[in-house]
Amino acid sequence: MSPQRRRAQYQDQITPGARVLVTGASGLLGRSVAARLAELGYQVTTLQRSPSGLSTVRDVRGSLTEAEPVETAVAGQDAVVHMAAKVSVSGRREEFEQVNIGGTERLLDAAWGAGVNHVLHVSSPSVAHSGSSLVGAGAGPADPVHAEGYYAQTKAEAELIAEARAEVGMKVLIMRPHLVWGPGDGQLTTRIIDRAKSGRLPLLGTGAPLVDTLYIDNAVEAFAAGLRHLPRIAELPAEQRRLVVTNGEPRPIGELLMGIAAAGGAKPPKLRVPPRLAKGAGAVVEKLWAVTGPHEDEPPMTRFLAEQLSTAHWFDQRHTRDVLGWTPQVSIDEGLLKLARHIRRTGRVLS
Amino acid sequence: MVSWWRPVPANRARLPHHALTETPLPGLDPGWSQLVTAKSADGPRTFHVLDTGPVLQARGIQPTGTILAVHGNPTWSYLWRGVLTNSLDRAEPGSAWRVIAPDQLDMGFSDRLAHPEPPSAGAPSYRRLEQRLEDLDALADALEIDTDRPLVTLGHDWGGIISLAWAMRHRSSVDAVTTLNTAVDHPSGEPVPPALRAAMAPGVLPASTVLTDAFLRTTLSLAEGGLNPKVAAAYRAPYVSRLGRGGIGGFVADIPALAQHASRSVLEEASAGLREWENPALLVWGPKDPVFRDRYLHDLLDRLPDADLHRFEGAGHLVAEDRNISEVLFTWLDDHFGERDAAPLSSSPPPAGQVLGLHEQLTELAASWRREASAVVELDASGSRSLSWQQLKEQVDVLASGLHELGIRSGDRVSLLVQPGNQLTVILYACLRLGAVAVVADAGLGLKGLTRAVRSAWPDWVIGEKPGLTVATALGWPGRRISVDALSPRTARLAGVEASVERLLRGNRSAELDRVPLPAGEHPAAVLFTSGSTGPAKGVIYTHARLGALVALLRRTFAIQPGASLIAGFAPFALLGPAIGASSVTPDMTVTKPATLTAAAVAAAAREGRATMFFGSPAALANVVATAEQLSEEMRRDLTGITLVLSAGAPVHPVLLDQVQELFPHAELHTPYGMTEGLLQADITREQIHQAMTAGQPGVCVGRPVDGVEFAVAPLDDLGRPAETLQNPEDTPGVLSEIVVSAAHLKAGYDRLWHTDRRSRRDHHRGLLWHRTGDIGHFDTAGRLWIQGRLQHVITTPEGPVGPGAVETPVDTLPEVSRSAAVGVGPAGTQAVVVVLEPADGEQLSVGSSPLARPEVSRRVREASAAVPVAGVLVVEALPTDIRHNSKIDRSRLAVWAAEVTAP
Repeated sequence: MSPQRRRAQYQDQITPGARVLVTGASGLLGRSVAARLAELGYQVTTLQRSPSGLSTVRDVRGSLTEAEPVETAVAGQDAVVHMAAKVSVSGRREEFEQVNIGGTERLLDAAWGAGVNHVLHVSSPSVAHSGSSLVGAGAGPADPVHAEGYYAQTKAEAELIAEARAEVGMKVLIMRPHLVWGPGDGQLTTRIIDRAKSGRLPLLGTGAPLVDTLYIDNAVEAFAAGLRHLPRIAELPAEQRRLVVTNGEPRPIGELLMGIAAAGGAKPPKLRVPPRLAKGAGAVVEKLWAVTGPHEDEPPMTRFLAEQLSTAHWFDQRHTRDVLGWTPQVSIDEGLLKLARHIRRTGRVLS
Repeated sequence: MVSWWRPVPANRARLPHHALTETPLPGLDPGWSQLVTAKSADGPRTFHVLDTGPVLQARGIQPTGTILAVHGNPTWSYLWRGVLTNSLDRAEPGSAWRVIAPDQLDMGFSDRLAHPEPPSAGAPSYRRLEQRLEDLDALADALEIDTDRPLVTLGHDWGGIISLAWAMRHRSSVDAVTTLNTAVDHPSGEPVPPALRAAMAPGVLPASTVLTDAFLRTTLSLAEGGLNPKVAAAYRAPYVSRLGRGGIGGFVADIPALAQHASRSVLEEASAGLREWENPALLVWGPKDPVFRDRYLHDLLDRLPDADLHRFEGAGHLVAEDRNISEVLFTWLDDHFGERDAAPLSSSPPPAGQVLGLHEQLTELAASWRREASAVVELDASGSRSLSWQQLKEQVDVLASGLHELGIRSGDRVSLLVQPGNQLTVILYACLRLGAVAVVADAGLGLKGLTRAVRSAWPDWVIGEKPGLTVATALGWPGRRISVDALSPRTARLAGVEASVERLLRGNRSAELDRVPLPAGEHPAAVLFTSGSTGPAKGVIYTHARLGALVALLRRTFAIQPGASLIAGFAPFALLGPAIGASSVTPDMTVTKPATLTAAAVAAAAREGRATMFFGSPAALANVVATAEQLSEEMRRDLTGITLVLSAGAPVHPVLLDQVQELFPHAELHTPYGMTEGLLQADITREQIHQAMTAGQPGVCVGRPVDGVEFAVAPLDDLGRPAETLQNPEDTPGVLSEIVVSAAHLKAGYDRLWHTDRRSRRDHHRGLLWHRTGDIGHFDTAGRLWIQGRLQHVITTPEGPVGPGAVETPVDTLPEVSRSAAVGVGPAGTQAVVVVLEPADGEQLSVGSSPLARPEVSRRVREASAAVPVAGVLVVEALPTDIRHNSKIDRSRLAVWAAEVTAP
């Protein structure tokens, strides 16, 4: 089938049956999305270094930093859902650049070369913001200069690369999930519970800043909807095909932390650190970390985390919901119950 | 002669966008600028003129009228950029104003004159008022102003004087005059305002105006909250150099403060001419002006009694920068010159019953077999005092005679700074008898609010108790002074008091009084003030007919019979006692603090006044319940004679009503719905509230319309804006809307707030005259009205607009919560709901010292507010409320606080 014919086939929706490559299916979100798409009837290929552990998909093993597995993975696909990224809050800049910028470029080049024309690029709200409070914010353009931290900076570059492909004819949808949590989440959820248990979870300042989050199940359904409607959304002006995705239930950060800690059976956090102090402390720790090299755990508090906890981060979801035809089915309170049940049953956050 | 003066050379007019390379002129379109050479009396002069004529022509729109806008000193035509923009936004074929705004000579970017000598009253090189009028004549010729179509002048400061004087000279061509802050007269004996005096002192004038930019900077600093720096720079642009500022000094030197000043006669010609002006006039005023203070406004009003006035409370000298004057101006122009069909004549529905004059009941009862019965009773710590109907009538007549002799006339405004009680009732009815307008600004507004209210109403007379008069003197309130108690000659002189009510009451009823006609129905009777909980308090005018309609409605709704007696814990109704024929009992309380009314005081009042009714505010009721333990058996018995309890001012919690019912076992409890602009619109009893609550509707049920009241609704859109087209309540059940009302007892208008008044009565639905209440709520299918809060407190969530009451009513039922307020944070249309709790006594609801509510508290609040998602729950010690009722929560202030706390 020629590339031109394939493009014509998905003018409005990418429907089940289509062949889709999901990158980064070793993380919670990537694996869940891959599994869900397969369940919906898509022919799913995954690309990551370790096995996805899913029986319903075809795994291509490899890194985005290598040409060969990328080319193998994109061959014959109808669409790419690009979720792979280095998401850590610490590390050397080069590592972030190699995966987040170089990897994205390599993937998109390969896709273009293989006639794969539809790309769902997964990004982060942090690419457009510099650490001040966000209140009912929209999805502004990625800004690598003002984004804070290597992750956000390199993801901002990656998003600009993806946007540039849209200029030359690719069909690109950018989705920016914000703070995904839930059972199986080894990032935010596990860390909050572990720290709460060891008494290292700071409740910063008043704990009252409102923060948007996204329960994992809702995230998965949002990406499925994004893939399906990608051809239509990709025709919209640039600012309308960038979608921040959240539960649309901003909550005081202190209440969220206490809720997740409680779901994990930990005592509610008590510590209070004035935000400015925490930010200062975070910056120092981050530097020290970079000098002393990798440890097993992330640094106890980074500037990124301090800001997440002491400033508001919530978003206008009207356009996102409207254009995806999607609304979250699991509320935060229901999500907390599900998480608690999962942890009681399995004894841990990870599945 | 100032020896250090260096001559200022002449200079040519320039186009601002050519002359300025560095300074942007925000809001000014270069396409409006042109240079116009006119044949002025001393030769051709070139003016810089802003003119929308060419823009309109390019659009193919023929102007239907012209506005000639004249700036003052030391501004330039930049002042009018908003008017130009607005005129062009509104322009359409068949309705378009051409705006012409020249820079005066020696000002802005017009020609600069040579000034060999410094500015002074006699200095020949500076323009005087007469020459400025001739300049305007020459410009009008050069611009070929169309006098066949409506021509309207607009001015500010010196431009106000010049434009008005010019209009007086061309009264056959000018169809309307409009002006912002200005003055056309300065009594020659009086000192000029201190703010100006400094700049005018002969030795200082050249230095403060020309050699330095002190005068310029001072004027620009008068904008509310300070000007945007770029805008301030634009104002300064033509005056950055000494060489550009000759005209500024010339204007200051031309202020004809002294009788022998050369421009004095021209000014007098203009100010006298205004008295004969018969065309429309509009005054738009910023009262926080240290130069053109309210007395100049009232001088203008005195000359132009039919002028429309919009007084922007809080705005100052640069009112054109502080507020949207264009909206007022063009709405007004549209009303007067619009091509649209004239608005249909609307009227109020008929009153609920026969309307009597406010004195008729008093006169009747004073002559009836009840004449010995108490009409007014007041209690305080020292005991009780009462007046019978006959005594009350006599005192009213005697005082009216004395006040009339003193000079109070029909239409005079009389500010009453008197505590509610027998004296206030006598004074009020004496004023009403004379046709004087009672200005009832109560201390419940707070001193600042009270000062603003009195200044805006600008009374001719102040009748007050000593503390009130002392404050009035200290704060320079207007009006001739009358004290309540007789003062020593020395004290009286110090406070500027001319007479006392006490002495006047020792006089006799004069035969002269019979020759004073009773005021006509359409005659203003009183100015009341809104509580000011949503912006500055507004003056509300009632006529005799409208108060009469209210009296008829009260008598009918609450079946008031002869012999009825009411305890007044809520001032507005208390004053109506004599008019409705009920005796009024003022209990022992601080009326300005309703929460000071105790159960024992009510019981004492009930016994002393044989009361059958109790009117209170929710705060008063709450305190009565809270102090019920004090009641002896005997006191409890005194309360059993009460058959009607009425709570007004704000919604009452049903639990509180139940507690009130226990204290007044024989009473029917009513919580009427109304507002200062219409005191009684709907009514509901305690039983009906309990019944309504089972319906599970959002907000507070305030019942069904009372007789003679018509309701309509203006549904809200996603951004919380009410529709312009009204609908009938029965066609829109459950739809969140602004509530709109029509009744014979509504306000006659807002005082000196032309545009606010115009907005509030803009509807003509069903041929009725409506009032936009600013309240939001909905009607249910049973025809009951549910209120959810105020329009400015609407929360615009992504799911649609929500009234605070939809959240607060269910949250308030939580036992750990005393009361709550729901506010929106975030951008309009996608706001998040934040609930702020005031804990019940002894409850600790927050996480430590943080305002954040504990998770289980938040969970309960979210469960209670099931229909509206709640983002965050915060806790404060006490919610901010208004002073008057102690029950209207200041949600605007809370919203600002909640926004800061949730997004530091």
